[in-house]
Amino acid sequence: MPLLVGLLWMGHAFAQTVGSFQMDETELYAMTKQMGQFMRRFNYEEDQFGEKLNPKDPRYRNNEMRRQSLPILFDQQKYGTQTELQQYFIEDVTKGDSTFMTFLGGRWYSEVSASFKYKGKSVNVILFLAVEKEGLGSKWVLTNVYFSEFNKMFPTGELAEKEKYFLHPMSHELDFMNIYKAFKNAEVIEYYASKEYQPDYLTLFFYEIKQGNLVFQHVDGVKFHVLQIKDWYFEVSWFNRSGLNSGWLMSNVIYMPEKEKINLIKFYQP
Amino acid sequence: MKKIIATLAFVLCFAGAALAQDELSFERKQAIDSLALEKVRDLSKYIKIAGSKETPFSEANRVIDRAEELFMSDAEIGVSSLSSNQITYYRVRKYFEHLMRLNYDRVEIEWYNIEYVSDLQRQPDGTYVGVITIFQTFRGYNAEGNLEYKDTTKKDITVYVKRKETQIGGRTIGFWDVLLGDMRVKETSNR
Repeated sequence: MPLLVGLLWMGHAFAQTVGSFQMDETELYAMTKQMGQFMRRFNYEEDQFGEKLNPKDPRYRNNEMRRQSLPILFDQQKYGTQTELQQYFIEDVTKGDSTFMTFLGGRWYSEVSASFKYKGKSVNVILFLAVEKEGLGSKWVLTNVYFSEFNKMFPTGELAEKEKYFLHPMSHELDFMNIYKAFKNAEVIEYYASKEYQPDYLTLFFYEIKQGNLVFQHVDGVKFHVLQIKDWYFEVSWFNRSGLNSGWLMSNVIYMPEKEKINLIKFYQP
Repeated sequence: MKKIIATLAFVLCFAGAALAQDELSFERKQAIDSLALEKVRDLSKYIKIAGSKETPFSEANRVIDRAEELFMSDAEIGVSSLSSNQITYYRVRKYFEHLMRLNYDRVEIEWYNIEYVSDLQRQPDGTYVGVITIFQTFRGYNAEGNLEYKDTTKKDITVYVKRKETQIGGRTIGFWDVLLGDMRVKETSNR
Protein backbone atom coordinates (compact mmCIF):
# COMPACT_ATOMS: atom_id res chain seq x y z
CA MET A 1 0.00 0.00 0.00
CA PRO A 2 2.74 2.59 0.78
CA LEU A 3 4.11 1.89 -2.69
CA LEU A 4 0.79 2.75 -4.31
CA VAL A 5 0.38 5.87 -2.24
CA GLY A 6 3.93 6.93 -3.06
CA LEU A 7 3.40 6.40 -6.74
CA LEU A 8 0.47 8.81 -6.69
CA TRP A 9 3.10 11.52 -6.62
CA MET A 10 4.87 10.27 -9.69
CA GLY A 11 2.49 8.49 -11.97
CA HIS A 12 5.30 6.19 -13.01
CA ALA A 13 8.79 5.24 -11.99
CA PHE A 14 11.73 7.28 -13.24
CA ALA A 15 15.03 5.76 -14.20
CA GLN A 16 18.05 7.43 -15.68
CA THR A 17 21.01 5.68 -17.27
CA VAL A 18 24.21 7.58 -16.73
CA GLY A 19 27.54 6.22 -17.84
CA SER A 20 27.90 2.70 -16.59
CA PHE A 21 25.13 2.69 -14.07
CA GLN A 22 21.41 2.97 -13.76
CA MET A 23 20.05 5.55 -11.35
CA ASP A 24 16.54 5.10 -10.06
CA GLU A 25 14.99 8.43 -9.27
CA THR A 26 11.61 7.14 -8.18
CA GLU A 27 12.37 7.44 -4.48
CA LEU A 28 13.79 10.93 -4.86
CA TYR A 29 10.63 12.10 -6.65
CA ALA A 30 8.50 10.66 -3.87
CA MET A 31 10.66 12.19 -1.13
CA THR A 32 9.28 15.39 0.37
CA LYS A 33 12.52 17.24 -0.18
CA GLN A 34 11.90 20.57 1.50
CA MET A 35 9.55 21.83 4.21
CA GLY A 36 8.19 24.14 1.52
CA GLN A 37 7.39 21.09 -0.57
CA PHE A 38 5.58 19.62 2.43
CA MET A 39 3.39 22.74 2.47
CA ARG A 40 2.83 22.64 -1.27
CA ARG A 41 1.90 18.97 -1.15
CA PHE A 42 -0.27 19.56 1.91
CA ASN A 43 -2.18 22.26 0.03
CA TYR A 44 -1.92 20.56 -3.39
CA GLU A 45 -0.12 23.48 -4.96
CA GLU A 46 2.08 21.23 -7.07
CA ASP A 47 1.23 18.21 -9.13
CA GLN A 48 2.53 14.69 -8.66
CA PHE A 49 5.63 15.52 -10.73
CA GLY A 50 6.59 18.43 -8.48
CA GLU A 51 5.48 21.04 -11.01
CA LYS A 52 4.08 24.18 -9.41
CA LEU A 53 0.41 24.67 -10.25
CA ASN A 54 -0.86 27.98 -11.48
CA PRO A 55 -3.43 29.29 -8.94
CA LYS A 56 -5.84 29.50 -11.89
CA ASP A 57 -5.48 25.75 -12.50
CA PRO A 58 -8.62 23.89 -11.30
CA ARG A 59 -6.36 21.34 -9.60
CA TYR A 60 -4.73 24.06 -7.44
CA ARG A 61 -5.68 23.45 -3.77
CA ASN A 62 -8.27 20.96 -5.00
CA ASN A 63 -9.63 19.08 -1.99
CA GLU A 64 -10.34 15.92 -3.97
CA MET A 65 -6.70 15.78 -5.06
CA ARG A 66 -5.60 16.52 -1.49
CA ARG A 67 -7.61 13.59 -0.16
CA GLN A 68 -5.66 11.31 -2.46
CA SER A 69 -2.26 12.77 -1.83
CA LEU A 70 -2.22 13.61 1.88
CA PRO A 71 -1.48 10.02 3.06
CA ILE A 72 2.05 10.27 1.61
CA LEU A 73 2.78 13.10 4.05
CA PHE A 74 2.30 10.85 7.09
CA ASP A 75 5.16 8.79 8.49
CA GLN A 76 3.64 5.55 7.26
CA GLN A 77 5.83 3.42 9.49
CA LYS A 78 3.98 4.95 12.41
CA TYR A 79 0.59 5.75 10.93
CA GLY A 80 0.19 3.17 8.17
CA THR A 81 -1.91 4.37 5.27
CA GLN A 82 -5.48 3.89 6.36
CA THR A 83 -5.60 4.46 10.11
CA GLU A 84 -8.64 6.04 11.68
CA LEU A 85 -6.71 9.08 12.87
CA GLN A 86 -5.26 9.62 9.42
CA GLN A 87 -8.66 9.32 7.76
CA TYR A 88 -10.22 11.67 10.28
CA PHE A 89 -7.43 14.20 9.78
CA ILE A 90 -7.68 14.10 6.00
CA GLU A 91 -11.46 14.32 6.06
CA ASP A 92 -11.28 17.29 8.42
CA VAL A 93 -8.63 19.32 6.60
CA THR A 94 -10.17 18.81 3.19
CA LYS A 95 -13.74 19.73 4.02
CA GLY A 96 -13.35 23.50 4.21
CA ASP A 97 -11.12 26.11 2.68
CA SER A 98 -9.48 27.40 5.84
CA THR A 99 -7.15 24.47 6.31
CA PHE A 100 -4.19 25.31 4.13
CA MET A 101 -0.68 25.89 5.36
CA THR A 102 0.97 29.19 4.55
CA PHE A 103 4.54 30.27 5.11
CA LEU A 104 3.60 33.61 6.63
CA GLY A 105 0.49 32.31 8.38
CA GLY A 106 2.18 32.09 11.81
CA ARG A 107 1.70 29.39 14.44
CA TRP A 108 4.38 27.10 13.09
CA TYR A 109 7.73 26.75 14.79
CA SER A 110 11.06 25.26 14.06
CA GLU A 111 12.76 23.20 16.77
CA VAL A 112 16.51 23.09 16.37
CA SER A 113 18.41 20.62 18.50
CA ALA A 114 21.95 21.93 18.86
CA SER A 115 25.17 21.09 20.66
CA PHE A 116 26.90 23.74 22.73
CA LYS A 117 29.81 23.77 25.13
CA TYR A 118 28.63 24.94 28.55
CA LYS A 119 31.49 25.84 30.81
CA GLY A 120 33.63 23.45 28.81
CA LYS A 121 31.15 20.55 28.84
CA SER A 122 29.17 19.33 25.80
CA VAL A 123 25.44 19.96 26.25
CA ASN A 124 22.25 19.81 24.21
CA VAL A 125 20.15 22.95 23.81
CA ILE A 126 16.80 23.13 22.03
CA LEU A 127 16.13 26.36 20.17
CA PHE A 128 12.68 27.41 19.02
CA LEU A 129 12.29 29.75 16.09
CA ALA A 130 9.37 31.35 14.27
CA VAL A 131 8.96 33.28 11.04
CA GLU A 132 8.42 36.96 11.75
CA LYS A 133 7.44 39.62 9.23
CA GLU A 134 9.87 42.48 8.99
CA GLY A 135 10.57 45.25 6.52
CA LEU A 136 9.75 44.10 3.02
CA GLY A 137 9.77 40.42 3.93
CA SER A 138 10.31 38.07 6.81
CA LYS A 139 12.98 36.28 8.80
CA TRP A 140 13.36 33.44 11.32
CA VAL A 141 13.68 34.67 14.90
CA LEU A 142 14.54 32.91 18.15
CA THR A 143 11.43 32.68 20.32
CA ASN A 144 12.46 30.38 23.17
CA VAL A 145 15.09 27.96 24.34
CA TYR A 146 15.11 24.78 26.41
CA PHE A 147 18.26 24.00 28.34
CA SER A 148 18.02 21.61 31.29
CA GLU A 149 20.48 23.66 33.36
CA PHE A 150 18.11 26.64 33.19
CA ASN A 151 15.14 24.54 34.21
CA LYS A 152 17.06 23.15 37.17
CA MET A 153 17.68 26.73 38.23
CA PHE A 154 13.93 27.40 38.41
CA PRO A 155 12.28 24.22 39.69
CA THR A 156 8.53 24.22 40.15
CA GLY A 157 8.34 24.55 43.93
CA GLU A 158 5.58 23.26 46.21
CA LEU A 159 3.02 25.94 46.99
CA ALA A 160 3.34 25.35 50.76
CA GLU A 161 7.08 25.82 50.51
CA LYS A 162 6.71 28.97 48.40
CA GLU A 163 4.32 30.49 50.93
CA LYS A 164 7.09 30.58 53.52
CA TYR A 165 9.03 33.17 51.59
CA PHE A 166 7.66 36.68 51.30
CA LEU A 167 8.23 40.28 52.39
CA HIS A 168 5.37 41.31 54.66
CA PRO A 169 3.16 44.15 53.42
CA MET A 170 4.52 46.77 55.81
CA SER A 171 8.15 46.22 54.87
CA HIS A 172 8.22 49.62 53.17
CA GLU A 173 7.79 51.39 56.51
CA LEU A 174 11.01 49.77 57.69
CA ASP A 175 13.01 50.89 54.69
CA PHE A 176 12.92 47.24 53.61
CA MET A 177 15.39 46.36 56.31
CA ASN A 178 14.17 42.74 56.00
CA ILE A 179 14.91 42.44 52.31
CA TYR A 180 18.28 40.81 53.05
CA LYS A 181 16.32 37.61 53.75
CA ALA A 182 15.33 37.40 50.08
CA PHE A 183 18.98 37.26 49.08
CA LYS A 184 20.13 34.90 51.78
CA ASN A 185 19.01 31.80 49.92
CA ALA A 186 19.72 32.13 46.19
CA GLU A 187 17.89 28.89 45.37
CA VAL A 188 14.52 30.40 46.20
CA ILE A 189 15.06 34.02 45.22
CA GLU A 190 12.31 33.77 42.59
CA TYR A 191 9.72 33.08 45.33
CA TYR A 192 10.01 36.77 46.19
CA ALA A 193 8.79 37.72 42.71
CA SER A 194 5.20 38.32 41.62
CA LYS A 195 2.96 35.31 41.05
CA GLU A 196 2.90 36.39 37.41
CA TYR A 197 6.65 35.99 37.17
CA GLN A 198 7.93 33.52 34.58
CA PRO A 199 11.65 33.00 34.01
CA ASP A 200 12.72 34.25 30.61
CA TYR A 201 14.96 31.46 29.37
CA LEU A 202 15.84 33.24 26.16
CA THR A 203 17.33 36.15 28.10
CA LEU A 204 19.27 33.71 30.28
CA PHE A 205 20.51 32.02 27.13
CA PHE A 206 21.67 35.32 25.61
CA TYR A 207 23.34 36.21 28.90
CA GLU A 208 25.27 32.94 29.02
CA ILE A 209 26.32 33.38 25.39
CA LYS A 210 27.48 36.94 26.05
CA GLN A 211 29.38 35.78 29.13
CA GLY A 212 31.13 33.18 26.99
CA ASN A 213 29.79 30.33 29.11
CA LEU A 214 27.75 28.83 26.25
CA VAL A 215 29.55 28.29 22.96
CA PHE A 216 27.73 27.01 19.86
CA GLN A 217 29.05 23.76 18.37
CA HIS A 218 26.66 22.43 15.74
CA VAL A 219 23.07 21.67 14.78
CA ASP A 220 22.06 18.06 15.46
CA GLY A 221 18.56 18.04 14.03
CA VAL A 222 15.58 20.09 12.96
CA LYS A 223 11.85 19.51 13.17
CA PHE A 224 8.73 21.63 12.92
CA HIS A 225 5.67 22.10 15.12
CA VAL A 226 2.59 23.13 13.20
CA LEU A 227 -0.41 24.60 15.01
CA GLN A 228 -1.74 26.55 12.04
CA ILE A 229 -4.37 24.01 11.04
CA LYS A 230 -7.66 24.45 12.89
CA ASP A 231 -8.05 21.94 15.73
CA TRP A 232 -4.86 20.03 14.84
CA TYR A 233 -1.29 19.96 15.98
CA PHE A 234 1.38 18.03 14.15
CA GLU A 235 5.13 17.65 14.03
CA VAL A 236 7.04 17.42 10.79
CA SER A 237 10.35 15.51 10.98
CA TRP A 238 13.01 14.50 8.50
CA PHE A 239 13.11 10.81 7.55
CA ASN A 240 16.20 9.80 5.65
CA ARG A 241 15.30 6.30 4.50
CA SER A 242 14.75 4.29 1.36
CA GLY A 243 11.31 3.69 -0.08
CA LEU A 244 8.56 5.99 -1.19
CA ASN A 245 7.80 7.57 2.17
CA SER A 246 10.76 9.74 3.09
CA GLY A 247 11.86 13.32 3.63
CA TRP A 248 9.73 15.78 5.63
CA LEU A 249 6.75 13.86 7.02
CA MET A 250 4.14 14.19 9.75
CA SER A 251 5.61 12.32 12.70
CA ASN A 252 3.15 13.17 15.42
CA VAL A 253 -0.46 14.14 14.75
CA ILE A 254 -2.79 15.16 17.57
CA TYR A 255 -6.36 16.41 17.52
CA MET A 256 -6.17 19.63 19.56
CA PRO A 257 -9.05 22.10 19.87
CA GLU A 258 -7.91 25.70 19.46
CA LYS A 259 -8.20 26.67 23.14
CA GLU A 260 -5.90 23.79 24.12
CA LYS A 261 -3.20 25.15 21.85
CA ILE A 262 -2.70 28.30 23.91
CA ASN A 263 -0.30 26.79 26.45
CA LEU A 264 1.66 24.94 23.82
CA ILE A 265 2.09 28.11 21.77
CA LYS A 266 3.23 29.90 24.94
CA PHE A 267 5.94 27.30 25.32
CA TYR A 268 7.26 27.89 21.80
CA GLN A 269 6.77 31.64 21.92
CA PRO A 270 6.29 32.95 25.49
CA MET B 1 29.96 36.66 -23.70
CA LYS B 2 27.27 35.17 -25.93
CA LYS B 3 25.81 33.53 -22.89
CA ILE B 4 25.72 36.78 -20.92
CA ILE B 5 23.91 38.54 -23.77
CA ALA B 6 21.45 35.66 -24.08
CA THR B 7 20.77 35.67 -20.35
CA LEU B 8 20.33 39.44 -20.30
CA ALA B 9 17.96 39.27 -23.24
CA PHE B 10 16.00 36.55 -21.45
CA VAL B 11 15.67 38.49 -18.23
CA LEU B 12 14.80 41.71 -20.01
CA CYS B 13 11.89 39.91 -21.64
CA PHE B 14 10.44 39.44 -18.20
CA ALA B 15 11.47 42.79 -16.81
CA GLY B 16 8.51 44.70 -18.21
CA ALA B 17 7.43 47.69 -16.21
CA ALA B 18 7.32 45.82 -12.94
CA LEU B 19 10.20 47.58 -11.28
CA ALA B 20 8.45 48.30 -8.02
CA GLN B 21 6.30 45.21 -8.05
CA ASP B 22 5.98 43.51 -4.67
CA GLU B 23 4.04 40.41 -5.54
CA LEU B 24 5.41 38.28 -8.32
CA SER B 25 2.98 36.75 -10.75
CA PHE B 26 3.02 32.99 -11.33
CA GLU B 27 4.54 33.48 -14.78
CA ARG B 28 7.26 35.79 -13.49
CA LYS B 29 8.12 33.33 -10.72
CA GLN B 30 8.46 30.62 -13.34
CA ALA B 31 10.83 32.81 -15.34
CA ILE B 32 12.93 33.49 -12.24
CA ASP B 33 12.94 29.76 -11.38
CA SER B 34 14.37 29.09 -14.85
CA LEU B 35 17.11 31.64 -14.34
CA ALA B 36 18.02 30.17 -10.97
CA LEU B 37 18.01 26.65 -12.38
CA GLU B 38 20.38 27.73 -15.11
CA LYS B 39 22.88 28.86 -12.46
CA VAL B 40 22.50 25.60 -10.55
CA ARG B 41 23.03 23.57 -13.73
CA ASP B 42 26.20 25.55 -14.39
CA LEU B 43 27.35 24.75 -10.87
CA SER B 44 26.64 21.03 -11.39
CA LYS B 45 28.65 21.11 -14.59
CA TYR B 46 31.59 22.84 -12.87
CA ILE B 47 31.59 20.34 -9.98
CA LYS B 48 31.73 17.49 -12.45
CA ILE B 49 34.57 19.02 -14.45
CA ALA B 50 36.64 20.06 -11.43
CA GLY B 51 36.12 16.70 -9.72
CA SER B 52 37.18 14.65 -12.75
CA LYS B 53 40.72 13.28 -12.61
CA GLU B 54 40.95 13.76 -16.37
CA THR B 55 40.59 17.53 -16.15
CA PRO B 56 43.96 19.34 -16.49
CA PHE B 57 44.87 21.48 -13.49
CA SER B 58 44.69 24.77 -15.41
CA GLU B 59 41.25 23.92 -16.78
CA ALA B 60 40.01 22.97 -13.31
CA ASN B 61 41.21 26.31 -11.95
CA ARG B 62 39.43 28.16 -14.72
CA VAL B 63 36.24 26.29 -13.89
CA ILE B 64 36.61 27.16 -10.19
CA ASP B 65 36.85 30.84 -11.15
CA ARG B 66 33.59 30.49 -13.09
CA ALA B 67 31.98 28.68 -10.16
CA GLU B 68 32.98 31.43 -7.73
CA GLU B 69 31.26 33.96 -9.99
CA LEU B 70 27.96 32.14 -9.49
CA PHE B 71 28.01 32.74 -5.74
CA MET B 72 27.68 35.67 -3.37
CA SER B 73 31.12 36.59 -2.05
CA ASP B 74 30.39 35.34 1.49
CA ALA B 75 28.70 32.07 0.50
CA GLU B 76 29.67 28.94 2.41
CA ILE B 77 29.26 25.27 1.69
CA GLY B 78 28.32 23.14 4.70
CA VAL B 79 29.06 19.44 4.34
CA SER B 80 27.99 16.60 6.64
CA SER B 81 28.02 12.82 6.40
CA LEU B 82 25.70 10.05 7.57
CA SER B 83 28.15 9.18 10.33
CA SER B 84 28.32 12.67 11.81
CA ASN B 85 25.99 15.63 12.18
CA GLN B 86 28.96 17.91 12.38
CA ILE B 87 29.05 20.33 9.47
CA THR B 88 32.35 21.20 7.83
CA TYR B 89 32.24 24.66 6.31
CA TYR B 90 34.09 25.54 3.10
CA ARG B 91 34.35 28.67 1.01
CA VAL B 92 33.48 27.96 -2.63
CA ARG B 93 37.10 27.77 -3.82
CA LYS B 94 38.16 25.60 -0.89
CA TYR B 95 35.26 23.23 -1.56
CA PHE B 96 36.31 22.78 -5.17
CA GLU B 97 39.96 22.38 -4.20
CA HIS B 98 38.93 19.73 -1.67
CA LEU B 99 37.01 17.97 -4.44
CA MET B 100 40.05 18.06 -6.72
CA ARG B 101 42.31 16.61 -4.03
CA LEU B 102 40.20 13.54 -3.25
CA ASN B 103 42.47 10.55 -3.24
CA TYR B 104 40.97 8.36 -5.98
CA ASP B 105 42.34 7.37 -9.34
CA ARG B 106 39.03 7.88 -11.04
CA VAL B 107 35.79 9.48 -9.92
CA GLU B 108 32.30 9.54 -11.35
CA ILE B 109 30.03 12.41 -10.41
CA GLU B 110 26.50 12.28 -11.76
CA TRP B 111 23.34 14.26 -11.13
CA TYR B 112 19.84 12.94 -10.83
CA ASN B 113 17.30 14.60 -13.10
CA ILE B 114 15.62 16.12 -10.10
CA GLU B 115 15.69 19.81 -9.44
CA TYR B 116 13.27 20.95 -6.81
CA VAL B 117 12.71 24.69 -6.62
CA SER B 118 11.14 26.21 -3.51
CA ASP B 119 8.79 29.18 -3.46
CA LEU B 120 10.56 32.51 -3.28
CA GLN B 121 10.24 34.38 0.00
CA ARG B 122 11.29 37.97 0.57
CA GLN B 123 13.80 38.78 3.29
CA PRO B 124 13.53 42.08 5.22
CA ASP B 125 15.52 44.08 2.63
CA GLY B 126 13.19 42.93 -0.15
CA THR B 127 15.58 40.45 -1.79
CA TYR B 128 13.86 37.22 -2.76
CA VAL B 129 15.34 34.01 -1.36
CA GLY B 130 14.69 30.46 -2.52
CA VAL B 131 16.28 27.05 -2.22
CA ILE B 132 16.92 24.59 -5.03
CA THR B 133 17.44 20.95 -4.11
CA ILE B 134 19.45 18.62 -6.31
CA PHE B 135 20.92 15.15 -5.80
CA GLN B 136 24.37 13.90 -6.77
CA THR B 137 26.02 10.49 -6.79
CA PHE B 138 29.74 10.17 -6.28
CA ARG B 139 31.89 7.12 -6.96
CA GLY B 140 35.61 6.89 -6.29
CA TYR B 141 37.73 4.09 -7.81
CA ASN B 142 41.25 2.93 -7.00
CA ALA B 143 44.09 2.23 -9.47
CA GLU B 144 42.77 -1.32 -10.06
CA GLY B 145 39.42 0.12 -11.07
CA ASN B 146 37.65 -1.12 -7.94
CA LEU B 147 34.95 0.98 -6.39
CA GLU B 148 36.33 2.32 -3.08
CA TYR B 149 33.66 4.76 -2.05
CA LYS B 150 30.24 5.88 -3.14
CA ASP B 151 27.54 8.11 -1.81
CA THR B 152 24.47 10.11 -2.73
CA THR B 153 24.24 13.66 -1.46
CA LYS B 154 21.36 16.10 -1.28
CA LYS B 155 22.44 19.60 -2.10
CA ASP B 156 20.22 22.46 -0.95
CA ILE B 157 21.38 25.63 -2.62
CA THR B 158 20.26 29.11 -1.57
CA VAL B 159 19.27 31.38 -4.43
CA TYR B 160 19.08 35.16 -4.05
CA VAL B 161 17.03 37.07 -6.59
CA LYS B 162 17.25 40.82 -6.67
CA ARG B 163 15.68 43.40 -8.91
CA LYS B 164 18.36 45.59 -10.47
CA GLU B 165 18.57 48.30 -13.08
CA THR B 166 20.96 48.95 -15.91
CA GLN B 167 21.32 51.65 -18.57
CA ILE B 168 21.07 50.47 -22.15
CA GLY B 169 21.11 53.13 -24.87
CA GLY B 170 20.12 55.80 -22.38
CA ARG B 171 17.15 53.82 -21.17
CA THR B 172 16.82 52.38 -17.67
CA ILE B 173 16.02 48.71 -17.87
CA GLY B 174 15.13 46.51 -14.93
CA PHE B 175 16.33 42.94 -14.70
CA TRP B 176 16.49 40.10 -12.21
CA ASP B 177 19.92 39.34 -10.85
CA VAL B 178 20.34 35.79 -9.56
CA LEU B 179 23.20 34.73 -7.29
CA LEU B 180 23.78 31.54 -5.36
CA GLY B 181 24.29 31.65 -1.61
CA ASP B 182 25.07 29.07 1.06
CA MET B 183 24.87 25.45 0.00
CA ARG B 184 24.09 22.58 2.39
CA VAL B 185 25.53 19.24 1.30
CA LYS B 186 24.07 16.30 3.19
CA GLU B 187 24.92 12.67 2.60
CA THR B 188 21.68 10.69 2.25
CA SER B 189 23.04 7.29 1.29
CA ASN B 190 26.38 5.54 1.04
CA ARG B 191 25.00 2.37 -0.49
